[in-house]
Amino acid sequence: MNADDNRGRSRLYAKYGLSGPAAVVLLFFFLLVPLLPGEFWTIVSTEILILGLFAMSFNLLYGYMGQISFGHAAFFGLGAYATAMVFTRFKTVGGEISTPDFLLSLLAGPPAAALGALIVGFFCVRLTGIYFAMLSLAFGELLFYIVFSWYSFTKGDDGIQGLLPPLFFQDAVHYYYLTLAIVIAALLVMWRITESPFGYIMRTLRDNQRRAAFLGINVRLHMLMNFVIAGAFAGLAGALWGPFSRSVSPGLLGWQESGIAVFMALIGGAGTFVGPLLGSVIYTLLQAVVTMFTTYWPLTIGTVILLIVLFVPGGVLGLIEQRIKSRRGQAANAGHEAASGTGKR
Amino acid sequence: MDLSAFTIQLFSGLSRAMVLFLLSAGLSLIFGVMNILNFAHATLWLAGGYVTYSMFDFMSGRFGASPWLLLPAILGATAVMTAAGFALERFLIRRTYDRELPEQLLLTFALVLIIGDLIKLVWGVENRRISLGIEPIEMLDTFVNPYHFVIIATGVAVAAGLWFFLHRTRFGKIVRAAVYSRSMVSALGIPIPAIYAGVFALGVGLAAFAGGVFLPLLPMSLGVDHDIIVQCFAVVVIGGFGSMLGTFVAAVIVGVVYSFSILFWPDGALAMVFLIVILVLIWRPWGLFGTELRS
Repeated sequence: MNADDNRGRSRLYAKYGLSGPAAVVLLFFFLLVPLLPGEFWTIVSTEILILGLFAMSFNLLYGYMGQISFGHAAFFGLGAYATAMVFTRFKTVGGEISTPDFLLSLLAGPPAAALGALIVGFFCVRLTGIYFAMLSLAFGELLFYIVFSWYSFTKGDDGIQGLLPPLFFQDAVHYYYLTLAIVIAALLVMWRITESPFGYIMRTLRDNQRRAAFLGINVRLHMLMNFVIAGAFAGLAGALWGPFSRSVSPGLLGWQESGIAVFMALIGGAGTFVGPLLGSVIYTLLQAVVTMFTTYWPLTIGTVILLIVLFVPGGVLGLIEQRIKSRRGQAANAGHEAASGTGKR
Repeated sequence: MDLSAFTIQLFSGLSRAMVLFLLSAGLSLIFGVMNILNFAHATLWLAGGYVTYSMFDFMSGRFGASPWLLLPAILGATAVMTAAGFALERFLIRRTYDRELPEQLLLTFALVLIIGDLIKLVWGVENRRISLGIEPIEMLDTFVNPYHFVIIATGVAVAAGLWFFLHRTRFGKIVRAAVYSRSMVSALGIPIPAIYAGVFALGVGLAAFAGGVFLPLLPMSLGVDHDIIVQCFAVVVIGGFGSMLGTFVAAVIVGVVYSFSILFWPDGALAMVFLIVILVLIWRPWGLFGTELRS
């Protein structure tokens, strides 16, 4: 990817849109973060990656399929709990876990979340718009309260504690690179999906469901498939979350957590592939910095979101893309220079 | 279940239903007329409760404690919050009418965070409550706080008032017409922006009123708005967007189901509520009393 970077950003832009250059720049930063002194930024970056993956999985529903889900955190939480439970089962009495067992426990997250998404999605895809949002919210809250109140199975309000990864991955940098590798792999798969014929069917469903149906597309089946895929990726993000924060709690399934994915996608730019990841960079970094100085984090992020909604519709990446397009003017082929210039920033 | 437990749960359920109704009525009107799902509605309710508390506290210090001071405190807080709602619509919400639904959601979402934190900034983290010092009365095998009757009567009265307003007054009829067709109302020469501002202010006023009325029964504490708003969504969805009767019936269903579920599944009472929401959305997405047309 770096060779590509050197030879021609314009080609990168032409092929992948703004997501190409943005992904290269982000990758560059993500690879170098552990060089910064102290563990703090590495830990923050791990969080950025995990929540970024979560936000991007949400965007498979919103940005590509055009449906807003307010219950997406349920799958993040299901993945986290599945991993946490397998993790706890594998743990020795002394609280240690071997590396293969640990990696195996991570694998438990996505299928569990996908299964949950299959059941929830079966009902949700029958609706669209505000009703889709409400039904996903209701399912999310139902799952939240089940996890919250089923003490014998989930430990209820206490959550599951003591998810200490093997010694090697207790090192923040090692866990970070593990996360980075998994997230990159996940994003490559996600990219393949969104650029496949299936991905274009999603865009069709977003733009005009009726036309898609006339074209012979099984609308509900495709929506359900996408719902399950998005759920599985959210579950993967959840799986990474437990051992990262050493615990899981019911709050991971709540609607406020779903809201974070919505924030990130819209801040970064829901119309682009890497937009939600950029949103996670902005949100999580801001949170890390702001909470150093004040406990009034909600007030700060609320104000930021307010300003973005009022003045940067389409999110940060959306705004940049718009600028590039307007600078290019009507001539479709003339603007490669301008594109590369803006993409660099 | 014996009679005393039944009585207690029935009254607390009905009281809860009245508060949910006052909130959801505004939520439903705002959504019906303006097509905006106001996530900040319960946060404004909370703010109304805090303002009522402060006014009550101030007047008690000034004129000596009396339960009757709650009345002017509630009215004062309602007036303040109605004005705040008007200003909110004028300066913020209005800018997003031509935007997509998610962006409007994001804006009201941001307001949840901002207003919630402003409450923390002004009133701090400790809970605020008003004790009226009313003796519980004995009835149906148990003791009941008579304030439950006040809340239930108030709720029913406001419901009747809202019905009268929507069906018998000119402004109310315009509001109902706007739910069906904004463009038609606009074409008849009625200024839509004024209707929007009025409806939003009315909704916020109702929410603040509910916050004040509820104060002697439950303390106001930070973060309750997050629980209440999803319950209001539940009410609006069950009843059907834009239907006042539906909202009332749904509020009673949610309030009573919640308070009886709490007896045998304390942590999961709301799970029952969301189960109902799911069943309604699957069976009749437009709600029990809504019309299919608006879906």
